[in-house]
Amino acid sequence: MKLDPSFIWTALVQILSAIPTTLYITCVSVLIGFVIGVAVALIRLYRVPLLYPLAVGYVTFIRGTPMLTHLLLIYFGLPVLIDGLAAHFGWSFRSVSIPMIGFAYISFSITAGAYMSEVVRSGLLAVDRGQLEAAHSIGMTTPQSLKRIVFPQALAASLPNLSNSVIGMLHGSTLAFTVSVVDINAKAQIVASTNWKFFEAYLAAALIFWALTFLIERVTSVIERRINLYNRGGVA
Amino acid sequence: MGAQFDISFVFSFLPKLLGTLSTTLLIVACSLLTGIIVGFLVALPRLYKVPVLKTLSEIYISFFRGTPILIQLFLFYYGLPEIMKLVHVDMTRTPVLVFVILTYGLHTGAYMSEMIRASVMAVDKGQVEAAYAAGMTGFQAFTRIVLPQALGIAVPVFSNLVIALLKDTSLAFTLGVMEMSGKAQTLGSLTQHFIETYIALALIYLVISFTIEKLLLVAEHHLLRHEKQNTPEKNLFKINKSWSYRRIIAELGTGKGGTGL
Repeated sequence: MKLDPSFIWTALVQILSAIPTTLYITCVSVLIGFVIGVAVALIRLYRVPLLYPLAVGYVTFIRGTPMLTHLLLIYFGLPVLIDGLAAHFGWSFRSVSIPMIGFAYISFSITAGAYMSEVVRSGLLAVDRGQLEAAHSIGMTTPQSLKRIVFPQALAASLPNLSNSVIGMLHGSTLAFTVSVVDINAKAQIVASTNWKFFEAYLAAALIFWALTFLIERVTSVIERRINLYNRGGVA
Repeated sequence: MGAQFDISFVFSFLPKLLGTLSTTLLIVACSLLTGIIVGFLVALPRLYKVPVLKTLSEIYISFFRGTPILIQLFLFYYGLPEIMKLVHVDMTRTPVLVFVILTYGLHTGAYMSEMIRASVMAVDKGQVEAAYAAGMTGFQAFTRIVLPQALGIAVPVFSNLVIALLKDTSLAFTLGVMEMSGKAQTLGSLTQHFIETYIALALIYLVISFTIEKLLLVAEHHLLRHEKQNTPEKNLFKINKSWSYRRIIAELGTGKGGTGL
């Protein structure tokens, strides 16, 4: 086995075809995760009875266990649950009809939700309580003041964390290979084992991930500058 | 898929999985040690702005933070022997655990160096100037004034990094290391009780990360005791001093992105 630098390029081209899968997994998990995260964060901030301990338990469990465990629990547990319910209620739906990537979507969304809730919560906490009170004093309702005053500022405060989470999910999507989804990592494995050139293939995959991460960082910094415009002095 | 769900298997699997806990903790401890040493070495050129070394350490950090740990594991496992062959060092008999620890060590090192840099920078520059004014040397000012404060600021990030590292070790099974996740997979396929195995596995991870978090929270309170306020007040949206430090760190982007896998 000798090092073959030219194969890095060959592998790179072949792996490119798997980028959409990785991006799909990342986008879906981040978007659904964000929705879950906002809900969980609001439940925790307002200490909604009954839901509060559930939300805390969810976040603690997910953050305390590896993502791989979530994926495997969903992969093995969900079919049992669905088929059990289906047999009980006489549904025609069976777990076999869920595509492999579906398990990745569900499990990664649940994972992302817990991390996102922390991001959202810290963003909301970073907004001065006086702002909310000022909004109330001029007659806004709570949903109005949250939407118009608190959320825009919270978003600006949590953008760096948000970009970290997106990158984290991008990197986490490499685990999808354990449920036979062909993402960048799995594709690299395939390319590597068919050509018996492991180092070159993984180097190509690393370069792609590096570039994607770099891109996310650039885009966030542009958005950050745009979203923080109100903070750039001038008035005060 | 598999056998009927049976909760009693969770309890019978727990001791079996705990048997491999030592491997997981060994990986965590060794990588943490490597990570701290590497982190210091990499943070220094950036803090003191050493010309060429600064760029090198930036590339190092960018690479290890910009690629998934799983890819890094494979890269080291397959790549290092090839590179060492060029300088005539035979690595074919090196145990897999060495590659695993090296990868996790270098991976954590990148985050550690960011943590060290951010917490040193978060200490007010005026403090150092005051120390100089009081006649301290640079070394004295660092060890007596900057370091104690930086340590307190670093603990929350450190705690996150240790927990992330613990969870990352679940990937070592891909190289065939028999740590907890690897053991769980073997147990699962032997008995066909996958769900029970993974529930047991999750419980163990949960307990360990919870313990680490609590221990380091105690350390944080101890190190930040000079920040304690005299009048404690409970307020939902209150932003206290240690919180604002956490924000500084968040803004410097040291946190390990989103998921510790």
